[in-house]
Amino acid sequence: MASLSTPTAFLGTPSPIDGISPADRLGLVRAMVLSRVLERACCELNPRWFPAEGEEAVIAGAFYGLRPDDVAAPHYRGPFLAYAMRGASLSRLVAQSIGRATGYARGRALGFTGPADLGFVPWVAGDLGTTIGVATGCALGFHYEGSDRVVVCTFGDGTTNRGDFHEALNLAAVWKLPIVYVCQHNQYSISLHSSQVLPIESVAARAPAYGMPGVGLDGNDVFAIHEAMRDAVARARDGRGPTLVEARTYRLGGHWASDPGGYRHPEDEDRWRQRDPVPRALADLVDAGIIDASGVESIWEEARDVVSRAVALAQAAPEPGAMDLGASEALAASGRDDRQRDPRTGPPAGADAWRE
Amino acid sequence: MARMSFVEGLVEGMRHEMRRDPDVFLMGQDVGKMGGAMGGSRGLIEEFGGHRVRETPISESAMVGAAVGAALVGKRPIVEISFGEFLPTCMSQVVLQAANLHYMTAGALTVPMVLRTRVGDGPYRGHPQCFEAWFAHVPGLRVLMPSTAADARDAMVAAIRDPNPVLFFEHMWLYHGVREDVPDEVGSFDLDRAAVRRPGSDVTVAATGWMVHKALEAARLLEPEGIDIEVIDLRTLAPLDLDTVAASVRKTSRLVVAHEAWKVGGIGAEVTAAIAESCFYDLAAPPVRIGAPHFPLPMTKPLRDAFIPSVEDVIDAVKRVRAA
Ligand SMILES: Cc1ncc(C[n+]2csc(CCOP(=O)(O)OP(=O)(O)O)c2C)c(N)n1
Ligand SMILES: [Mg+2]
Repeated sequence: MASLSTPTAFLGTPSPIDGISPADRLGLVRAMVLSRVLERACCELNPRWFPAEGEEAVIAGAFYGLRPDDVAAPHYRGPFLAYAMRGASLSRLVAQSIGRATGYARGRALGFTGPADLGFVPWVAGDLGTTIGVATGCALGFHYEGSDRVVVCTFGDGTTNRGDFHEALNLAAVWKLPIVYVCQHNQYSISLHSSQVLPIESVAARAPAYGMPGVGLDGNDVFAIHEAMRDAVARARDGRGPTLVEARTYRLGGHWASDPGGYRHPEDEDRWRQRDPVPRALADLVDAGIIDASGVESIWEEARDVVSRAVALAQAAPEPGAMDLGASEALAASGRDDRQRDPRTGPPAGADAWRE
Repeated sequence: MARMSFVEGLVEGMRHEMRRDPDVFLMGQDVGKMGGAMGGSRGLIEEFGGHRVRETPISESAMVGAAVGAALVGKRPIVEISFGEFLPTCMSQVVLQAANLHYMTAGALTVPMVLRTRVGDGPYRGHPQCFEAWFAHVPGLRVLMPSTAADARDAMVAAIRDPNPVLFFEHMWLYHGVREDVPDEVGSFDLDRAAVRRPGSDVTVAATGWMVHKALEAARLLEPEGIDIEVIDLRTLAPLDLDTVAASVRKTSRLVVAHEAWKVGGIGAEVTAAIAESCFYDLAAPPVRIGAPHFPLPMTKPLRDAFIPSVEDVIDAVKRVRAA
């Protein structure tokens, strides 16, 4: 049965870089709060939604600050924050989660898919792990063109048991591809605790065997995660190859919102609830004097406001119809050449990016 | 008589064989304490324990490879791939290893394994892909797709006992449907025979999985118009029982084949081609195939409802072959 495990020690510790500016600290925490409120709304609207509660620090820390011309391949649990931080419309995301036509994929793909035009590897099928290969291929493209663009790819602890994971990491290491692999380690794959399916404590411990640095982190410490990510992204940008980051956290909710559970110890759940990364990050901001108690309240209010407006818009949106079916769109029109598209420009991913 | 839902039939079939034969074991993701996806192995770990109901990592290729290997050394593994949508991740183990081993060793080896998986549109709308036709294309595999609770149980028993690798496709829409009467005795499911679900004289409708039920519904709706459909449940997709279909077509002279998978390259293509070869002069009209249109399966309900063949599609097809 699941037992409480503490985050693993650093493995191949990266050299520490400058601290994170107060503005970025604030941005990271605002992003986490948005995710908490947004994902809760999705769970209320859709009992089959996959709750990301408790994992916000990993998602915010991994994708915050990414350039618009980089590629991001988020894990299926909690990806809306990654999309939001790069300019997605919250109402379109909520619409997607309830199967409305205004979602980014017009009701065709999975509800957690990403806006492809914002530089995401989308979720076009449900087989976990395969997108790690696709993300690695995006990194190959960047390496091939000699650019300094990078890829950040997140995935669950369970997903690392797919052969595709092993093949992709080996390939990326041997070709020194500009990609950062991030394991969003919430200790579960559906009902199975990681100790039932992984014989070692740490996924990052495998990194040296693939020929890349591995970093094991407290997955509830957003600042530590983001700092490690900045280092790993910098490494990738200047041609020093991939990194495997493991952020150890806990899935506070069920596998899906209405999961009856019953396969883990309530004491474990309570213990991890006390380590909730969101209040912890807010408290850190207060301790650092970046905000005060009223600042905490206004961060929550800001998130609640923007999410409730998004929910209202999404609920008013129509269901997909014949127009969205795209019966003749399995193949692209011949002659189409997407190289003519300019790479996206704009500010890095952050807490001022999302739109209604 | 017992009353059983489709999923209860599946579990009962596994339980029956696990009690009878200590070499039978089940492995898959969440098959233990959680009771399996959609309750697909409920109660088994309580009775047989973790040694025989084995939780696996998300390592589909290794899972199927492990089943092949265990079968080679005398075990009778049932490996569960949670959803048929994930079969592409373990394709080489299925079509290059499991399928070839018997023939390529000149009969020295057999691979008595069952690969069970869930397909089709279902109440949760997750992972609906129907890839069964790919496996029917490959020699050396049996492919089953039951459509009733009794067949779910008895086909599972027959699959476990069979010396060949069997792909066992479980349609999710049928899982938690009405409970049916199922004989107490475990029947001898004939792995080489389709089943005539409703005898009729005017049109043969050969269908798979959920489409069998849609065809039966179409038959009920057409009865008042004086149209009498014979409904055949293809259920053994490989080897296909073409004799049963041919015998029916010789009687009705009209053929419709219906499945939820894509029409292009589907089971229906094989059935109609084979019937055109064997019964060309018995046919009074060109056969009609019903299958999904040729684009990827969309995820939301309205789009999926437009995509998946319906009872009305069966009725239209029946009327078309009658008009011709
Ligand atoms: C190839 C594949 N196998 C199995 C599944 C079924 N499945 C969906 S979510 C899940 C658990 C994934 O665990 P993890 O990677 O740790 O992500 P988490 O759910 O914990 O976020 C499984 C097994 C799948 N989607 N794809
Ligand atoms: Mg997990």
